Amino acid sequence: MSIQFKSILELRKMLDTKVISTEELIQETFKLASKLKSLNCFVTMNEEASMQKASQIDQESHSISVLSGIPLGQKDLFCTEGLRTTCSSKILSNFIPPYSATAVSNLENAGSITIGKTNMDEFAMGSSNETSYFGNVHNPWKKGFVPGGSSGGSAAAVAAGIIPAATGTDTGGSIRQPAAHCGITGIKPTYGRVSRWGMIAFASSLDQAGPLARTAEDCAILLNIMSGHDPKDTTSLDVENNDLTQSLNNSLKGLKFGIVKEFNLGDLNPDVQKRFEDSKALYESLGAEFVEISLPNISASVPTYYSIAPAECSSNLSRFDGIKFGHRTEHPKDLTDLYIKSRSEGFGDEVKRRILIGTYALSAGYYDAYYKKAQQVRRLIKNDFENAFNSVDLIMTPTSPSTAFGFGSKGSQNPVELYLEDLFTISANLAGLPAISIPHGAVNSLPVGLQLIGNFLREDQILNAAHLFQKNSEFHLMKPTMEDFE
Amino acid sequence: MTWETVIGLEAHVQLSTKTKLFSRASTTFGQSPNTNVNLIDCGLPGVLPSVNKEAFYKAIRFGMAVGSQINQTSIFDRKNYFYPDLPKGYQITQMDLPILLGGTIDIETDEGNKKTINITRAHLEEDAGKSIHDEFDGCSAIDLNRAGTPLLEIVSEPEISNAKEAVAYMKALHRLVTFLDVSDGNMSQGSLRCDANVSIRKVGDLKLGTRTEIKNINSFRFIEKAINFEIKRQIKQLEKGETVTQETRLYDSIKDETRPMRSKEFANDYRYFPEPDLLPVVISDKEMQDIKDNFPELPKDKELRFESEFGLTGYDSKILASSKSMADFFESSAKEAKNYPLLANWLIGEISAFLNKDLIGIDESKLTPANLAMLINRIDDQTISGKIAKSIFEEMYLNGKTPDEIIDSQGLQQISDDDEIEKIINAVIENNPAQVEGYKNGKDKLFGFFVGQVMKETQGKANPQVVNELLKKKLS
Amino acid sequence: MDKEIVRTICYLARLEIDEDKAQKIEKDLETIIELIGGLSSIDTTNIEPLYSPLEKTALKHDDILNSDNQKQKFLQNAPNANDDYFLVPRVVE
Repeated sequence: MSIQFKSILELRKMLDTKVISTEELIQETFKLASKLKSLNCFVTMNEEASMQKASQIDQESHSISVLSGIPLGQKDLFCTEGLRTTCSSKILSNFIPPYSATAVSNLENAGSITIGKTNMDEFAMGSSNETSYFGNVHNPWKKGFVPGGSSGGSAAAVAAGIIPAATGTDTGGSIRQPAAHCGITGIKPTYGRVSRWGMIAFASSLDQAGPLARTAEDCAILLNIMSGHDPKDTTSLDVENNDLTQSLNNSLKGLKFGIVKEFNLGDLNPDVQKRFEDSKALYESLGAEFVEISLPNISASVPTYYSIAPAECSSNLSRFDGIKFGHRTEHPKDLTDLYIKSRSEGFGDEVKRRILIGTYALSAGYYDAYYKKAQQVRRLIKNDFENAFNSVDLIMTPTSPSTAFGFGSKGSQNPVELYLEDLFTISANLAGLPAISIPHGAVNSLPVGLQLIGNFLREDQILNAAHLFQKNSEFHLMKPTMEDFE
Repeated sequence: MTWETVIGLEAHVQLSTKTKLFSRASTTFGQSPNTNVNLIDCGLPGVLPSVNKEAFYKAIRFGMAVGSQINQTSIFDRKNYFYPDLPKGYQITQMDLPILLGGTIDIETDEGNKKTINITRAHLEEDAGKSIHDEFDGCSAIDLNRAGTPLLEIVSEPEISNAKEAVAYMKALHRLVTFLDVSDGNMSQGSLRCDANVSIRKVGDLKLGTRTEIKNINSFRFIEKAINFEIKRQIKQLEKGETVTQETRLYDSIKDETRPMRSKEFANDYRYFPEPDLLPVVISDKEMQDIKDNFPELPKDKELRFESEFGLTGYDSKILASSKSMADFFESSAKEAKNYPLLANWLIGEISAFLNKDLIGIDESKLTPANLAMLINRIDDQTISGKIAKSIFEEMYLNGKTPDEIIDSQGLQQISDDDEIEKIINAVIENNPAQVEGYKNGKDKLFGFFVGQVMKETQGKANPQVVNELLKKKLS
Repeated sequence: MDKEIVRTICYLARLEIDEDKAQKIEKDLETIIELIGGLSSIDTTNIEPLYSPLEKTALKHDDILNSDNQKQKFLQNAPNANDDYFLVPRVVE
């Protein structure tokens, strides 16, 4: 029986009813991955260790948890002990971490099997997975088209049905936007929900880890396990983590959904607009009430983000200096040459751009005008959300202004073009709020995503709304034909 | 032309926490390279800092002792620059909202000049690793053991006027941090380092002259020498009509001169911004109260207590209380020693002489408080004479043996038994008839001869008082 | 963009840009700076910067040893090291 396109719960059933053994499942997974190699979803495969773990699990007579034996991809931003971790960058192309990220350990301790590290935009900087040192990832729905980014490899691997789920990270939309472009579900939790220990830092005050999967229910299962207070990450929240699967079927009656006035949805591509209106109607039929809300400073999200994220990343990436790990230039003249050449050889253009912008935004004379200013506007944006959540429970937006596009067709002349891809997703990172993207149809055969933004710590609500949508529609069941890749 | 010197000191105090400021690796000095290093200290990708509360408590103790304003909420910032001993490419420090603001330190120079120096601020930051430049062919070697050790950087106002005051300030600081158990203050190991900002101006000028910074001076002696050299150098330049260049300099102790550090092409812009991996640190009122309740005794208070509790003179108390290790040793020994002034005398006199000769502190010697107490008691109860005690002490100091061990193994007990001494006196008198005659005829000085002979016969063990008494009787 | 400023920020970041890419990167930087400069029109008087979305304070840990020194592993990962040290081209102070 084919394992392709199966969700976690479907695979769980197959394993529990002994339709397939864990070893067989993992073997099939690697076969699939190999067959669909041209997608370029994976940077490193973990075959030997995976087969070992699978065989161990088969020897134990009972499953320890829902994830027992389930194959997962880990975004190559997460440190995995003994398994190469590159952030899709030349500068880490030979880095083998001596420890694992907490989010990864949580999933592996729950029984999941890390079958490989998924491709991504270099250091998570990008919205199309076109900046990877290991080459572009293809969108399974259309060869030569981007899967979105930065978690492009994870999204493509799940959309292509190779694995039921994968981890991603989201700093400005990097889980949600590729989920939307690939027709799958992805959630970014509240900032601090999932530990950032072992997650190679891009922008510390914005980064969050989260799952990408075929269904909201699977996302709930994964997020349950990934979440939790970690004393090794002082920014991780010490709060009660309620079981997100318990509230999935709560009625939506009376729940208020906000539509953001300032997003001017009327200016969107009419097909994308139509999808949005149809989904609104579906939610209304489930009892939800729609209210127009105002987030007056929302149009400042993109410039705010592109002040803060590069600034933080310029500092976070200083540790890549060719001395303790990673790429080092051959024959440096002196110490300064060592730094400059190692870093310039090791980083791609987008990373360099962001480091330079960040350095500029933090430098003497510019700090107040750029970095500090942006953090002030950030507070205004957060306040706007707080106000809005006084009158609504959830906020609904399209995930992305457009569908997936061809390689090289955006951003090569003007980087800002690509930055505007993040228009709808970025503000949730600035405010630290949870947000989910679910597939809700296609335009020109390319998937379109719907975003729900929840209040602080209210993942339960957005997962609930997402799950009921999926119970009452079939968009999440759509599969790409994959004929271009076989 | 009369010139006046303006000096401001930046002291880096390594806090005596067991673990580092942001990680739980050990801070023990002298370990083999790169063994006190964990993931966080190494700056590996994906690691995050977390805050050691004890570092805050020690900083606050210091602040309380010098009367600083304590910011119960303080923030960490990143200071960004590239150097091989800085693994992350940034140092986590405190810029805009440090833990301590203000405070004062009272100083007294060797010549007895008293002054109060104001502290501008003090903040917590992590130390960098160490680089070794001369050992490996064409390479510098990096040891990250020290990376992440907590430092309290204490900045003084530019109110210090000469090298002697600078030394007095650093000594006062040393005394404070050791007594407060904030740092072991060991300058040779780098627990206490000093950067000196020195400038010269004409007497009466209100504007400060251009200052130079002499970095990382690590002994009191060098502080004095470096500053004096720099003052002379700057005055010479100004008298020539030249200007002083604002620069960073290093003190070369071998040549006894300061010289500029290799100049950098671009001035460093550290691009400070609040550390996003660490939220603001808050010290609760309860924590503040706990620190107050468990406050160690300050030097001045200890002095007074030694006077009243142990009946010591003001002079002796002051000397004992000037060093924490000495004061602690005294008190520990006093638990068992019965004669406090005698104990104090030994510590201040004989023992200090030995320690100074070997340039070590009492806690580095083989002496134990219990052993010294035993020695004092044996002198006090007349088991041994003061003279014998000195030789016993030497052995204690060299080998760490207890006095009783030495006394027994060498049979050094004082002979105080009247009969025994009388026997020996009789023998001496019998064997020296000429001297007896001479003494009886008025040569009083010969008394010393007889005492000497008795001592010789008893290998110095005869109780001098008893010998004196009995000899007087016998010779009269 | 002022060529001097570009040179300075490149040095601060220890990056060099290839001659053939220099013009494009400079133009890109200008475009991005224009984008983020748009924030200046927003009134932020008396607004405290939001450095982290969490309105909470740092956890502090106890001063207890809990280390996993992996000297061999760290040095192994290093591009240039001997048994004891990380090595870099000689620095002259």
